[in-house]
Amino acid sequence: MVWFNRLFLGVAKSLNHSKYYKDIKKYFDDILNDTENPTKKYIDLLMIFFIISSVVILVYGVENQVPKWLDFYDLYFVSVVFLVEYLLRLWVHTDLFRLVLDEEKRAHFLETDFSLSRPMKRALKRTLEYMLTPAMIIDFVAIMPILREFRILRVVIIFRLFKLLRYTRSINQFIEVLKYKQFELTLLLILLAFVMTAAGIAIYLFEVHVNPNIDSFFDALYWALITIATVGYGDISPVTPEGRVVSMIIIVIGITMISFATSVIVSAFSEKLIELKENQILGQLNRGEEFLLVCGYGQMTKMFMRREETTRHNYIIIEKNKERYLQAVKDGYNAILEDASRHDALMKFKIQHSKTTILCLINSDIENIYISLNAKSISPEIRVIARASNASMIQKFKRAGVNDVLLPDMIASMMMRVAISRPHLYKAAHAIFAGKDIAVLDEIRLFHGDGLVGKRVGEIDFRKMRLLLMAVERGGEGEFLFNPAADEVLRENDVLILMGYRIGLEHFKDHYDESI
Amino acid sequence: MHSKIFIFGYGKHGKSIARGLLQEGHRVTIIESNEKQYEDAKEDGFIDCLLMDVTQDSKLEALMVEKGDQLICVMDDEHLNVFLTLSLRPLFPESTLLAISDSIHASQKLQMAGADCVIDLYDSAANRIHNLLKRPTVTRFLDSVFEGKGGIVFREIVIPRGSFMDGMLVDDIDFSLHKVLLIGMVDFELGEHFVFITSGEEHRIDHGDHIVCLGLDEDLDKFETLILDEGELL
Repeated sequence: MVWFNRLFLGVAKSLNHSKYYKDIKKYFDDILNDTENPTKKYIDLLMIFFIISSVVILVYGVENQVPKWLDFYDLYFVSVVFLVEYLLRLWVHTDLFRLVLDEEKRAHFLETDFSLSRPMKRALKRTLEYMLTPAMIIDFVAIMPILREFRILRVVIIFRLFKLLRYTRSINQFIEVLKYKQFELTLLLILLAFVMTAAGIAIYLFEVHVNPNIDSFFDALYWALITIATVGYGDISPVTPEGRVVSMIIIVIGITMISFATSVIVSAFSEKLIELKENQILGQLNRGEEFLLVCGYGQMTKMFMRREETTRHNYIIIEKNKERYLQAVKDGYNAILEDASRHDALMKFKIQHSKTTILCLINSDIENIYISLNAKSISPEIRVIARASNASMIQKFKRAGVNDVLLPDMIASMMMRVAISRPHLYKAAHAIFAGKDIAVLDEIRLFHGDGLVGKRVGEIDFRKMRLLLMAVERGGEGEFLFNPAADEVLRENDVLILMGYRIGLEHFKDHYDESI
Repeated sequence: MHSKIFIFGYGKHGKSIARGLLQEGHRVTIIESNEKQYEDAKEDGFIDCLLMDVTQDSKLEALMVEKGDQLICVMDDEHLNVFLTLSLRPLFPESTLLAISDSIHASQKLQMAGADCVIDLYDSAANRIHNLLKRPTVTRFLDSVFEGKGGIVFREIVIPRGSFMDGMLVDDIDFSLHKVLLIGMVDFELGEHFVFITSGEEHRIDHGDHIVCLGLDEDLDKFETLILDEGELL
């Protein structure tokens, strides 16, 4: 056995170090369990198709002859797919090799003999625990039709329907909401069980064999439930005055309980509605590669959001004031009710993975600085643009790591000064800043292999295209080559700053490769 | 500069505007209704300061406002600012009225009250955020131009009578020879609005037209003297 132990340990070690193995495992883990994985959506849709087709075949088969190939598809193909899925789930759930290696470390440390039995037992225990979770039991039963013996129990296929729970978010959310009111609902269920049993016993004592329809205690319980639920099929009805009194009492209790249950469920939904909506927005947002977080929904944000282009962005507004949050939702924006200065509020977004920009537009320097620091502490890569109230604050914002500090007062004052002393320039500047169609200033970054790389500025007829090449940014930030001469050669990573009509610029951006 | 500038309000906007204009050599008169801010203005070295109740038309009328003067409404109180604009408009119809709006709602009211130019604080800031996000390099470039870093500036030049440019077509002038970029112009033949050079229309430069150029400060100096010199010679 020693050689087997060694061999197993060797395999465990090499697999644990193999990036390939880990990647595959991670991949399957992602598509099975990570709700934000883009591929998972398609896998889920495929599984839903299998489930539904299987159930449709079952129902169709009750009165019709199912073609052989369809039967084969249902009983073998779908079942095998489910089996593979089941095994994959078991595989990604427990990391046996990790346990083996931990055991080896332990044995080494304690200077005892290494044995496989301990990690094996632990792995088995974990796997068994996992197999006994409701979702896994459903999965297991759904595979059953693969065995010939189970085919008689065609009802087992119904279990496949329960598998839908795994792949549809909405049903899961429904269960989540009900879980939130678990206490109330459990209480209600216990009460129901109690009343049902009590009424059942009563009718059993009063009417068994007196009433031709009540022959057993089960009949009595059945009658009690039908009456409490106010369904009243009428197949069993009390014949003695005592029995009728019992039914009168439990009907009143039944109505109360039903209305109680309804109100519990409705209130659970209304209380969880905001959260459900947020989850949906978050899920959507986290699938994107880059996004914009706007903190605060004040005048500044309103003004910013009014520019229609921004709505095409992957964005969200975070507002901690409920009134303003509701206003944002009413205005038709994606918003969540959350305090952006809290660490876990920002952690809800996968901001450390994607290109994120945070706009702090709250009318308070203290809060803006706090949020900026919060964001930068999660990842220094996040770009932060923050609003400051006056120039003396700039230093503080810069120290907090803010990339761009915005001073609305200063911008307005500066614009005013230009408007006073150079009114015509003001008109030009205003048109440029506001991005009016007649004068758009735009940038084009040249990448490796771009048609413009290596060309001389003079070779490109900007004038014909009614464009004005104002400057070229070269070598990082802020190094501008103003009004480049005709013999200047364009290089990789240059950024051209062009002015022109919007249509002209867009045309140039799309077609400059051909136009040279 | 012959025209005078009246600044109503020496608050958060008034202060920085007044100081900037003073540095550029303009004649600035400050009007305040708040005593403390009036004292501030005097302390900061403004000689022409007036303390008055701006809600009274008779006092406003007494101001020595001439044709072509600029009236700037930047009172801290948004409501007072609108009221002031409304009072000034009929009193001085031939002056230019400019105002800063501190909130989304005030912009429209100021315009209705008769301001010629309303600068919306939030609008301009929102534009800036937008530009920072969409066109970071352009924004950096414009920043460096407006802050005067790197020596590149915008300049507005009035073409004098008899200048070598007087009567020429824009396309016939080689601005690159003078190392400046022509951004656009106000062609008074066509009206008072600003025309960007990229509009592609033929424009003839006449005396009295304003052209806006972009370039290095010293190149612009040379360019301007060239235009003005020949203007005086002929």
